[in-house]
Amino acid sequence: MTGEVEVEATGETVGEAKWIALRELERRSPGLDKAAVQFEVVSEGERGLLGVGYAPARVIASVEAAEAVLSEDPAHPESHTEGSLAAEARDLVGLIARGIGVPCAVRVSEDEATVLVECTGRELGSLIGKHGQTIDAVQYLVNAIVARSHGDEGRKDVVVDAAGYRERRRVTLEALALQAAERALAERSAVALESMTAVERKVVHLRLKEHPGIVTTSEGTEPNRHVVVALAGA
Amino acid sequence: MAPAELLTELARRLVDEPEAVRVEQTVRDDDIVLRLHVAPADIGKVIGRKGRIARALRALVRASAGRMRQRVLLEIVE
Repeated sequence: MTGEVEVEATGETVGEAKWIALRELERRSPGLDKAAVQFEVVSEGERGLLGVGYAPARVIASVEAAEAVLSEDPAHPESHTEGSLAAEARDLVGLIARGIGVPCAVRVSEDEATVLVECTGRELGSLIGKHGQTIDAVQYLVNAIVARSHGDEGRKDVVVDAAGYRERRRVTLEALALQAAERALAERSAVALESMTAVERKVVHLRLKEHPGIVTTSEGTEPNRHVVVALAGA
Repeated sequence: MAPAELLTELARRLVDEPEAVRVEQTVRDDDIVLRLHVAPADIGKVIGRKGRIARALRALVRASAGRMRQRVLLEIVE
């Protein structure tokens, strides 16, 4: 765990949203020091009239991970300091989000091999784009830029996510992959999936890698490149 | 931030000669065209393997122009 622990919550009023956010933070970090929690009011909310124009109040509550829990992970005291690659990735995603005009909170976490940059906020749709093509472009560029400034030494993969998009999409893609595999086996013929980005195709390939009787390949050229699910040995 | 500004910021971080990066904005057939100028030795760096950097830059330029009525196109120039 490194950097900040952060949650976003909504409520009828700012006070209620703060209370919900605080409870969620306490759930994630038992023994939380409440005095160290900082609140950012994203939106005061609109009361609306007869339910028309109603918008909930939104707050982001954050606390430094080191302060959140009194004694966690004593084996890795250095893990609380953010690496320079992680800091650069965070700044870049912030820059791009501002460039696209999407206000969001950016938080990073990292392990030995990966830096995860997550954006939270409202209306992250234009940061994600159709089929995630915008967020994938952000991820590709951020990786290209940090690879330049950090070289191969200390190289880490940067994963950029917004509003839990990657996990939601992974669930959908894995379901699609399994359906295609079942259909290929039932019909004894190859099944072509819709075109996907490289990141998405990888999820499908990985899900079906050990599926009995099935092989997967990518065919076609961008932006129409897609996965074909075929019978092994056919 | 305007699309041209975002493009400039990103391109500067991709090349060896950031001071040579310049974005020229023109209009053609109702579309806004952003012409990205970089040092000749840096052309490959903003295009990338199989054109992937250029494609990613185009995706972000498009996204940053989301609220504008006109399309925004990206051209890479020496």
